[in-house]
Amino acid sequence: MAGPVLRAGAWPAVAGLSGVAVVVGGCGAAFPAAATVLFPICFALLAAAAAFTLDEPASQVVDVTPTGTVRRTTIRAMALLAPLATGTLVLLAAALRGLALPWAAASLALAGNVLLGFAAACVARTRTGEPGAAAGTAIVLVLLAPSLVPQVARWVRTFPAPGAGGPSSNPVWWAVLAGCVAAIAISVGGRRPRHRPASAARQRWT
Amino acid sequence: MTATLAPARPGADAGRTAFAALAACELRRFVVNPVFLLAVVMTADALWFNRSGSVTEIDTANPFPAVFLGGFGMMATFWLTRSMRASEPVTGVTPVTRPTRTAALCAVAIVPFGCGGLALLAFLHFHPVGDPVYGAFSPPARIAVLAGQILVPSLGGPLLGVALGRWVRFPGAAFVLFLILYGWVSLVTILSMSHPGSAPVAVLRLFAPFAFFTYTANTADVTAWRGSPWFFLGWQLALCAIAVLVALLRGAEGQVRARIIRALAIAGVAALILLVLAGTGGFTHAVTA
Repeated sequence: MAGPVLRAGAWPAVAGLSGVAVVVGGCGAAFPAAATVLFPICFALLAAAAAFTLDEPASQVVDVTPTGTVRRTTIRAMALLAPLATGTLVLLAAALRGLALPWAAASLALAGNVLLGFAAACVARTRTGEPGAAAGTAIVLVLLAPSLVPQVARWVRTFPAPGAGGPSSNPVWWAVLAGCVAAIAISVGGRRPRHRPASAARQRWT
Repeated sequence: MTATLAPARPGADAGRTAFAALAACELRRFVVNPVFLLAVVMTADALWFNRSGSVTEIDTANPFPAVFLGGFGMMATFWLTRSMRASEPVTGVTPVTRPTRTAALCAVAIVPFGCGGLALLAFLHFHPVGDPVYGAFSPPARIAVLAGQILVPSLGGPLLGVALGRWVRFPGAAFVLFLILYGWVSLVTILSMSHPGSAPVAVLRLFAPFAFFTYTANTADVTAWRGSPWFFLGWQLALCAIAVLVALLRGAEGQVRARIIRALAIAGVAALILLVLAGTGGFTHAVTA
């Protein structure tokens, strides 16, 4: 069962976004002065990749099969290993280049970014079969808000800056992780097939 | 000497009418796009937030209209263009050609461009041209810097969104390109900080749809980087022309297609020349004032 469910995933999108993230993160590792700008962009791309893991072009058929939502989502969650592995690779490259980042906080930020993208996809999947584009865009805009809006940057930081003052990113990501787990549990538990089979609809009226 | 008035061709009139109707329809769709509305609100907020005397150089306040009206505008027009994909089998058989429909989509860029103009006027109101925040640039060059940082990105971003929507199938292409451009501009700006006198780094910094021209280190003095703001403006306008031509190329046939390809080659060469002139012109080294 896991094989076909995984095979139907939006792998070109997940792999493509992860590939772009590797390039951006690689530039961050190669140019340490730009790391604190490029790593958040790399992580945002990985969050967007995670948002595409639940895309199901044949959702009208798949949603009414006997395989439950929880099972399908659990199998698809295995695809999160791709963005997580990519992020880990980028952090390892940065460590090998001798970058002085707070590694625990950076790893937490990576996990938080990826889980945020997946949670957004889970929530959006209750409304549409292919939530990747909308969820990915929304997540990217949210994750870039501290960089784009100075008022937000005063209060929220999404990436740990080495030795800088200001707010820590850890409380944000712990809160996001808790919120994501709750959102995933609620959306997966409450998801029902949106498209009633025609035969079932007929039976109801005859 | 006599003058004759040739009667207008009925076909051309009908084409113009159809284009105007399509452009008006696309404009109505664009101005209610939530991403574009968010961009307008964020631009106004950023300009208001940066109006105070805390701004030590223009580049702490200038990127916001480019990011919001240009970047978010690109995402909005990308979605606007893609939203017609599902109805292509129906619209494809109408008498209006695809390049005409694309041109109508490109026409919506006039709205963010107008917003960019208003943002430019607001910026000039809060930071008059005589302010020291502009660095060593002459007053006309200061206007060129502002036009290149506020006005033209507001036009180019939405045009790029249309081209992207016409050619790329991937639904997340707009935000990926936005992130790549954001990362590239950040990277080359940081490189310029450590190599302010380098010509190749200056060309790299200007090899983008948006570029910074000033920098303040820990002092109160503003450093003006090398490069010509006027030629950079030309490079940006050439990029806008390329975006429109690439968008129009999709679905163009016969004579029109050949003409577009020829224009594209000319615009490409012009862009390349203007980029080199932008990198080598202006100040030949970083000037601190």
